[in-house]
Amino acid sequence: MQARHAVQSLYWLIRKDLQREMRALHAWSSMLLLGLVLAFLVGSQLVLPPEQKAHVIGGLLWLAIFFAGSLACEHSLASERDAGCWQAFALYPVAPSLLFLSKVITTNIALALLELVLVPAFVVLSDVPLAPRPVPLLVVALLGNLGVAAIGTIVSGLTAGLKQRSGLAVLLLLPLVIPVILSAAEATRLLLSGPLDSQWWTWIRLLSVFAAVFTVVGALAFEYVLEE
Amino acid sequence: MSRPWPVNALMIKDPLGWMVFSLILLSTWLVFFVAPTEATMGDVQRIVYLHVAVAWGGLAGASVMGCCGVAFLIHKKLAWDYWSQAAGEVGWLCATLTLVSGSAWAHEAWGTWWTWEPRLTASLVLWFIFAGIFLLRSAIDDPVRRARVGGVLALVGMSDIPLVIMATRWFRGVHPVSPAMEPRMRWVLLVTVICYTALFAYLVMRRRRQLEGMELASQLEASAWATCPVPHH
Repeated sequence: MQARHAVQSLYWLIRKDLQREMRALHAWSSMLLLGLVLAFLVGSQLVLPPEQKAHVIGGLLWLAIFFAGSLACEHSLASERDAGCWQAFALYPVAPSLLFLSKVITTNIALALLELVLVPAFVVLSDVPLAPRPVPLLVVALLGNLGVAAIGTIVSGLTAGLKQRSGLAVLLLLPLVIPVILSAAEATRLLLSGPLDSQWWTWIRLLSVFAAVFTVVGALAFEYVLEE
Repeated sequence: MSRPWPVNALMIKDPLGWMVFSLILLSTWLVFFVAPTEATMGDVQRIVYLHVAVAWGGLAGASVMGCCGVAFLIHKKLAWDYWSQAAGEVGWLCATLTLVSGSAWAHEAWGTWWTWEPRLTASLVLWFIFAGIFLLRSAIDDPVRRARVGGVLALVGMSDIPLVIMATRWFRGVHPVSPAMEPRMRWVLLVTVICYTALFAYLVMRRRRQLEGMELASQLEASAWATCPVPHH
């Protein structure tokens, strides 16, 4: 019964966030536009032989995902404060870890949407086949998104309400998320440049550990993030 | 009557401080006059003694910062936050010295000031995390909120510590892992690490006391303003 209530609450919390985003088109549209601008800039400057392009494109793709995705991350909890709903959100009658999970899932949806736009844009503008192995790429994307979304939600909650919020959030998010971005970029590079070897699995393991640690720490610490 | 700075500084008012100062003098003497000169690198190898000591200080500072941050979140006592901030600041200073001394050593050993080696990269990430946390803390005026934010971030930032420690084992890099040393070198290294640990602990204690004093002073100032009579025009 409790589990059913939790799943239902999660559904309504995510639906509320998605509905608000669809109505206002605030952060997600800016995120998609920034992603496209970054894909254009990378494509225009990447004048390299095809094998060298495949070597660097993974890192550039993940940097673009981070910088564009940080808009969605920063918006995820700050939007509650901006709309004057912080207390109502904090008092929602479910565990704080469930509130955290709802925000992480919403940000994951935003990042998946961004990647659905960015990957084809990179393929077209940079002329690099990014999906020769779609399943491993999907695994990297899912783990990378989870890590970025978990830490992004925590940072968004901690910086919400501060005067210099946007600058501080990105400045703080980038060093914290470097292990995730680095692992995802290396795993993407390796899957584009040859067969999946033990080195690829090492990066996937590291990516999984960081995604799991950030999610668990975030869920445990979220009640302190919500305190006024 | 206040005395000029050199007189005040040389007066033995702080026995613990003088003890730590003597330990640092002792370790400097050991490094330069007792430790044998390394055959390949010569005197430049002596950087390693300082490098290992400050690297240990950086990791210990980050760990203490995280643990005290968690203690604040649980007990809600600002005293824990003073410890957390003091340890974090000294740890950040050590992390900076680690990067500088490591870079100087790498220039002689590898012929480059910097290389994207796993342990170096993880150490630089830790340095950026420290810097980001201090930047965010400085933007918050309310001490309780500052402590809460600092506690959560220090807890998250601690996740990089295992990566720094295990980087040389998990990934192929060029950073030395427990290199073979002559017994006298190993002994000097151990004493240097102990002496510098005493220095870091002393600095953390001094800084904690200063932070507590600063908070008390700001509270007194606020209460003085609150009780100050408003002039009538």
